[in-house]
Amino acid sequence: MTTATSKTRSGAWSGYLFVLPYLLLFTVFLLAPLAYGFSLSFYRRELLSVVPPKLIGLANYSEALHDPYFWKALWATLRFVALCVPFTMLTALSLALGLNGLKGRLQTVLRAAVFVPTVLTISVAGILWRWFYNGEFGLFNAYLHYINIKPPWLTSTGMAMVSIALMTLWWTVGGPTVVLLAGLHNIPPQYMEAAEMDGAVGYRRFRYITLPLLKPVLLFVMVLNIIGSFQVFGQTFMITRGGPEMSTRSLVQYIYETAFNNYRMGYASALSWLLFLVIATFSAAQFRLMRER
Amino acid sequence: MSASPLPTKPNSRHLAYRINAVVMIVAGLLFAAPILLILITAFKPDSEIVKFAGILPHKATLHNFQEILGSPEEIPIFRWFGNSVLISSLVTLLVLTVDSLAAYGLARLNLPGKKWVFGLIVATLMVPGQILLVPVYLILNKLGWLDTPLALIVPAGAGAFGVFLLHQFFLTIPRELEEAAALDGCSKFGIYRHVALPISAPALATLGIFTFVGSWNDFMGPLVFLDSVDKYTLPVGIALFQTSYYAEYGLTLAASVLCTLPVLIAFLLFQRHIIQGIALTGSKE
Amino acid sequence: MPIDETVPSNISRPITRRALLAAVPAALAAGGCHSTGSNPVTVRYWNGFTGPDGRTMLRLVKRFNERNPDVNILMQRMDWSTYYNKLFVAGQGGRTPEMFVLQTLAIPRFARARFIRPIDDLVASPQTVDVSDLDANVWEALHINGQHFGLPLDVWPMGLYYNKKLFLEAGITDSSGSPRPPQTRDEFLDTARRLTRPETPHRPGQWGYTFTYFESNLYTVLRQFGGEFFTPDSSRCILSSPQNEEALQFCVDLISKYHVAPSPQNFDSWIGFRQGKVGMAFEGIYMLADLQKQKDLEFGGAPVPLLGTHAAVWGGSHNLCLRAGLSGRELEAAWRFMRYLSDNSLDWAEGGQVPVRRSLRNTTRFKGMEVQSQFAREIPIVNYLPRLPFIFEFQTEFTTAIEKALRGTETPRVALATAQARLNKIIERDREASVAS
Repeated sequence: MTTATSKTRSGAWSGYLFVLPYLLLFTVFLLAPLAYGFSLSFYRRELLSVVPPKLIGLANYSEALHDPYFWKALWATLRFVALCVPFTMLTALSLALGLNGLKGRLQTVLRAAVFVPTVLTISVAGILWRWFYNGEFGLFNAYLHYINIKPPWLTSTGMAMVSIALMTLWWTVGGPTVVLLAGLHNIPPQYMEAAEMDGAVGYRRFRYITLPLLKPVLLFVMVLNIIGSFQVFGQTFMITRGGPEMSTRSLVQYIYETAFNNYRMGYASALSWLLFLVIATFSAAQFRLMRER
Repeated sequence: MSASPLPTKPNSRHLAYRINAVVMIVAGLLFAAPILLILITAFKPDSEIVKFAGILPHKATLHNFQEILGSPEEIPIFRWFGNSVLISSLVTLLVLTVDSLAAYGLARLNLPGKKWVFGLIVATLMVPGQILLVPVYLILNKLGWLDTPLALIVPAGAGAFGVFLLHQFFLTIPRELEEAAALDGCSKFGIYRHVALPISAPALATLGIFTFVGSWNDFMGPLVFLDSVDKYTLPVGIALFQTSYYAEYGLTLAASVLCTLPVLIAFLLFQRHIIQGIALTGSKE
Repeated sequence: MPIDETVPSNISRPITRRALLAAVPAALAAGGCHSTGSNPVTVRYWNGFTGPDGRTMLRLVKRFNERNPDVNILMQRMDWSTYYNKLFVAGQGGRTPEMFVLQTLAIPRFARARFIRPIDDLVASPQTVDVSDLDANVWEALHINGQHFGLPLDVWPMGLYYNKKLFLEAGITDSSGSPRPPQTRDEFLDTARRLTRPETPHRPGQWGYTFTYFESNLYTVLRQFGGEFFTPDSSRCILSSPQNEEALQFCVDLISKYHVAPSPQNFDSWIGFRQGKVGMAFEGIYMLADLQKQKDLEFGGAPVPLLGTHAAVWGGSHNLCLRAGLSGRELEAAWRFMRYLSDNSLDWAEGGQVPVRRSLRNTTRFKGMEVQSQFAREIPIVNYLPRLPFIFEFQTEFTTAIEKALRGTETPRVALATAQARLNKIIERDREASVAS
């Protein structure tokens, strides 16, 4: 950061007028709710109840730890993250490398094709894939029928989350691909030329030149992807509503239902803070890994 | 997929180039095909959708579209579209204004304690939005803003991402430019307005696109904060119209087409800018 | 609770407009469109009719608005599962609509939250509705602490839909050669067996029966086996009883022992019926419109066979309800509309409903509605879901339990015991929340 030049101190505070509008919003709709939500998590606050909110200490948190639905939702969320992040990263990287090897117009057109699902709203994407996956008249099974297989896309507890992840891959991989492609564009051509002269081509060039240079972008994309995946909601809400047997009910959906189906605001707040804790743990671990390598 | 030895400058006569091109064309088709399928299937009668027999309709019909467009009181799809446009535009305007001012103040002005303030703002980047859902809902209820567009517009201005992005961008502005402007008699605001903003047009455009798309596709916000159907935005409108009992796929797909076409056209027109904007953010950090 | 406080804001709007109009020159006011007195009163009317029944309701609303220029009914609808959320949330913010539809199952919850205005005084007024014309059990279901919290519009007993073509092919006919739906457990099992056919390379497989909507299907069977769900005072859940276990086991057996129903794992049941791959299904009358869209399907409706020992079917009603504290012109307009809907519930029935007024069901017009009149025979044995303020939590637990059993994840005994334990916890929590200071 540049140090202050010879400006007089008198007008220093007036500069805060610039920051003031944002700080106001920031305080009212971010800081205050954070504090409010945190304190709520120690209360029994139920909108249906005629009893006023009551301070109950850590009872909400201990309820969560003994709540099988919480663990189930956490497990579903972790499964989604574990399925989604690696596949998204691999696909995005492959697509970016492939696109990078194409010439001008073709690259632009195909880049747009890969990116276009991203602009759909989740309801449209969800309606579409619900139809694809339908066992009786879905597009996939209509064709898989010819080779005599009928995967239970959304109806088996083992498969449903895989199907959701596959749909998510289609829906969201465009963003990471485009960012990685830009990262590839930013690699100075001299490196590549030098590598070529050293005889490093193909996989070796990818492994020893491209990958290290791309690493910062790759990690950035991955962290965002992980954080985003932990917050999965729209897909499962639209496609399976959390079923079958709650196998796709994510933590966020559980929080939503606790708060707005059952109106248990205190408990829902505690659940959100637990979600935050999980995300923070993962992010911290990542940053540590990033620094070590 | 494509670890094939690609030369630095693609050569279209090279065999490897051609293989890669074919693979990528197939991939591109796979990504785009589902969207074409919505378009095609929306012209099928319901009974044909439920008994799938080929991609193309046997008896193409406009019935689904007629039904949707013919009864605005039943499916106020234009209303939802208008709401979406209004809300997303206002959110974008608010975020650009407020964030650029704050980012400029924090990046370029000599504010006491600004490191501390900026640190606090950046720290909240880690906070997942869901954690705010319940308390913001209760606050909006207190303010009486629930079920009004304000509930979706104003809280959106509190996000830290824009401030962070623009802050990093403003840091790169050469000090001399500002000094020259100051010599010309520009006020702090004048410098912000006539120097910082024009220079940062790409970053502002990126943030604007991000914000607009994010708001346009926001599902949770309208789902929780709105309850009157005529105030809905497109994503929730269409979602809540789908029912768990009936299989009205024809209608929902036709509604999806109407909802998607404008965005699709906008995307195809501006795709270069949109994609470059997104790429810029990624490579920035 | 701030529900009643919305009234001032609703009233103040016409007043300010009136004040404004008074301020502008008389000439303008005379040339302007509305005279102050005939401002139509707006009644917001919310419901969950998103499918074809929504279209039928919308037509009724339009017709009423045309005939009553002094009233403007503004209908809003959304998917039932989200609808209750939204209604409740709107009420929390003091934005409850003047009139709304509640299914019978939701009445206790919204009545306890003081959302609904009882209608007994309106029924007693000169502009009455003849409640003796309503089926007694349907009207009684709205009775809480001496008050009635809505006017029932219809009743939907669950019935048996069957595929006539498949019945004929399998030779399941009566003496005159028309398809004969089963009436007893033995007949049901026999029919289901004869309708079930494995898949061959030349034709797709076929199932005798399929579970469609778990909650309604299983609630019917469990009630037929005589099992109770709660103690009469709703203070304890007694779901895990021998009768309920036996009933649930019977359902599981249809899949895994008799092999006449597909596992929910591999089959989209309702669509399967619509496609003609299933012989029989239990569903509500409201699915009629959906089936009628499938032009190549010949189906019939009949009462659900007696699978257990007690005659019972799952069912529900749509009830027209008024916002708590509603009064004045809005009340008059909403009540007028309610009576209009009730009087015209045959038009409502046309879209796939059974009106709850006996006089209307006795008309030749209703008797001409084939499936509706078949299902209507079951009205006396309709079993509503238990009366609970925590009904949505109950539905979640009940559905989870039966889903696990039907999929074979848990035995009926374990599934029911788990649900019972959770429900008893919910009851405790609810008691704490409802015992006011």
